[in-house]
Amino acid sequence: MNEFLILKLLDRIQWIFKGLGADYALMRRILQVKLTMDGRRTPTLFSGSQNSKLEMEGSPFRVQWLYLLLGLMLIAMVAPRDHHMLMMSLLFSIVMFLITTTLISDFSTVMLDLRDKNILFSKPVDRRTLNMAKSLHILIYLLTLTLTFTGPSLLFSLFRHGPGFFFVYAAEILLMDGFILVFTALIYLLILRFFDGEKLKDIINYVQIVLSVAVTVGAQLVSRMFNLSELGLDFTPAWWHFLLAPVWFGAPFELLGGGTGSRSVVILTALSVVVPAVMFAAYIRLMPVFERSLQKLAEHGAEGRDSGRLARVLSETVCRNKAEAMFFRFTWSMMKNEREFKLRVYPTIGFSLIFPFIFIFNQVWSGDLAGIRSSKSFLFIYYSALLLMTVVQMVRYSASYKGAWIYQVIPLPGKGLVYRGMLKAAVVKLLVPLFLLEAAVFTALLGSWIIADMAVVLLALLLYAVICFLTFPKALPFSEKYEAAQRKEFTGSAFVQLFILGGLAGVHYVFTLIPAGIYIYMVILVAANAWIWRRAFLPDTSRDNGFPTLRAGG
Amino acid sequence: MGLTEEPVISIEGLWMNYSDRMVLRGIDLKVYRGQIIGYIGPNGAGKSTTVKIMLGLVEGYNGTIRIFGRDISDGDTAYKKRIGYVPEVAELYDSLTAREYLTFTGELYGLKQADADDKARKLMGLLGMEKAYDMRIASYSKGMKQKVLLIASMLHDPDILFLDEPLSGLDANSVMVVKEIFATLAARGKTIFYSSHIMDVVERISSRIILLDGGDIVADGTFTQLREQSREGSLEEIFNQLTGFDQYRDIASEFVAVIGEGAGHE
Repeated sequence: MNEFLILKLLDRIQWIFKGLGADYALMRRILQVKLTMDGRRTPTLFSGSQNSKLEMEGSPFRVQWLYLLLGLMLIAMVAPRDHHMLMMSLLFSIVMFLITTTLISDFSTVMLDLRDKNILFSKPVDRRTLNMAKSLHILIYLLTLTLTFTGPSLLFSLFRHGPGFFFVYAAEILLMDGFILVFTALIYLLILRFFDGEKLKDIINYVQIVLSVAVTVGAQLVSRMFNLSELGLDFTPAWWHFLLAPVWFGAPFELLGGGTGSRSVVILTALSVVVPAVMFAAYIRLMPVFERSLQKLAEHGAEGRDSGRLARVLSETVCRNKAEAMFFRFTWSMMKNEREFKLRVYPTIGFSLIFPFIFIFNQVWSGDLAGIRSSKSFLFIYYSALLLMTVVQMVRYSASYKGAWIYQVIPLPGKGLVYRGMLKAAVVKLLVPLFLLEAAVFTALLGSWIIADMAVVLLALLLYAVICFLTFPKALPFSEKYEAAQRKEFTGSAFVQLFILGGLAGVHYVFTLIPAGIYIYMVILVAANAWIWRRAFLPDTSRDNGFPTLRAGG
Repeated sequence: MGLTEEPVISIEGLWMNYSDRMVLRGIDLKVYRGQIIGYIGPNGAGKSTTVKIMLGLVEGYNGTIRIFGRDISDGDTAYKKRIGYVPEVAELYDSLTAREYLTFTGELYGLKQADADDKARKLMGLLGMEKAYDMRIASYSKGMKQKVLLIASMLHDPDILFLDEPLSGLDANSVMVVKEIFATLAARGKTIFYSSHIMDVVERISSRIILLDGGDIVADGTFTQLREQSREGSLEEIFNQLTGFDQYRDIASEFVAVIGEGAGHE
């Protein structure tokens, strides 16, 4: 078992945890075990021993180059010698957006984990220590991520603005991470307290959607609060600025740099310290309640009876093959019931819902409604495909991944049918409803002339679903254990997919320039779909990789 | 010993309901040192729930539970130091090696790392698994995992053992060893609270058998006492009789009939 550097750092400040009422030695030990396990990969049933790399012990803290690269761009916001308030608020809105979304999609399962309880709580470990270990475990990852992302700009600020700025920036980052973690935990606690049984599980998912929408809109608002169009880059405080957390975190820099200590800036600065502190204190007190309320998630309430009629009718409509229809229904019901899957995917539903509109609203904001109606802004609806990327990636994971032995013992004609049934279920259950909703709103906003375009987008998205499937490493539905370490390997594939998505929107745009081009494109897409949905799932593809897999390196 | 002895576990009026059904309906129970309690009952009778409540894993019960004379609802988890637990499903961190897992649990129970490691290695060796000590638990067979759980439950020399189906997956030889371990521990004054569905094992090793049905205790006594009460031969038959179950033949034949229904394979 490794002695992690982070644990040694914690040793230095162990008095804090002791002061908060935790058994530090136990907490440290639990953290050590958790970090060790994070670095290990669980071999899936299908990987067998063909890959010796699986036995290797990885560090859970591998640097994510993508974040580092993105972080370089933040330097541009730290660079100016004035307008700190504006620049740092913007910077924090970006960082908070990234960290919050990662937290709610990737760490909700850790926060709401129940398996731990049976193993750890049957031992003499008190609730507070257990919960603190859990929170720290998440916080360590959040900080690693935040520091990767803000690292370049943090370092830059030291040389550009001196140690004062540097320390304030570093402290604000710490406060921000704590704030995000505690805020999310308190929201979950609120739901856990007030709801029960099956309803509770649904509400958690809805809250995730709402949170991700709120975070996206919030980040947008920050960039709206300054009069960017005017030369002054003025900050004129309005009441709603006090509700935007990134502005609190931006305010101290205004005090530090300009010295124009207007009252509202001072208040905002105070908020950046007081709110996280108060929330933190509340959270520490409520930790045992949180652990206790988690139990509700384990209760098996009266199951809602579902005869599966809808799934049966749909599966027979979209699948011609019996085995394929069977896996359509299997994936359908797993997606409906698998808690981990929902916790990871539902935040993305929020993004896919809001992203296309964000850009439209940006234009509305600049008062160009007439411009939108005749423009090509409907192409923003391609953003709804973000959901496809996540679903196709996530559908391989399950908490009950060990159940995957079933694929090995049943007489399968080939995995192609499993994959196709799975993909169809994902598209029909998640993408199509979302898309129809958005297309309806777009049509209402822009006029009925875009209906043909909407149809083309749908066809393109169907094509894109298969592309997503092909670009990710293949895996049978719900057959792998989710591991953060492994997820990083998909960043490359996800990048490729984003480019392809952009390409699809581009091609669409080009065809709109040609008279009646949209109908030509429609025909092309229908043909392409017919081809790819057949070709990509030939029964033997899984065995000898007859179809070229467009896999990008991690 | 005798009348003045304090019960190790004392349960009074234990009621528990999950959102839709009653699981336990007023259980009263006193358990003393050196007893091996066979805690039996049909599926869903509330056996695991009772054990989980005593471990603090399940909350929201009504009634009083005292362990080592202390009410467990006071929030102090120190009593768990003297308890060992083998859960029903083999839940453990299987990406760890046995060494890592066992020293970790040992430390959670308050042992020193080196002591826990040393003890765990010896115990693993005694159960024939010295070679597997540094292998990931994920690669173990079901019986090996069960042995790790058994060792983890006893490493800290607890005074009470809660065992939920502890012999599942073990081969016949290991079963003999483990049964002997239980008997020896009981003779040294440890209390063993044992739930299982394998009636002949329960019949042989328990000094006292408690039969739970529908959330109530329907029988409590030694095997001989139970046999006298119900005038049946084996514990299995007593079990059938007390839980009012006598149509196993009908159900079996009907079951087989349903399997054969329909057109069969395509």
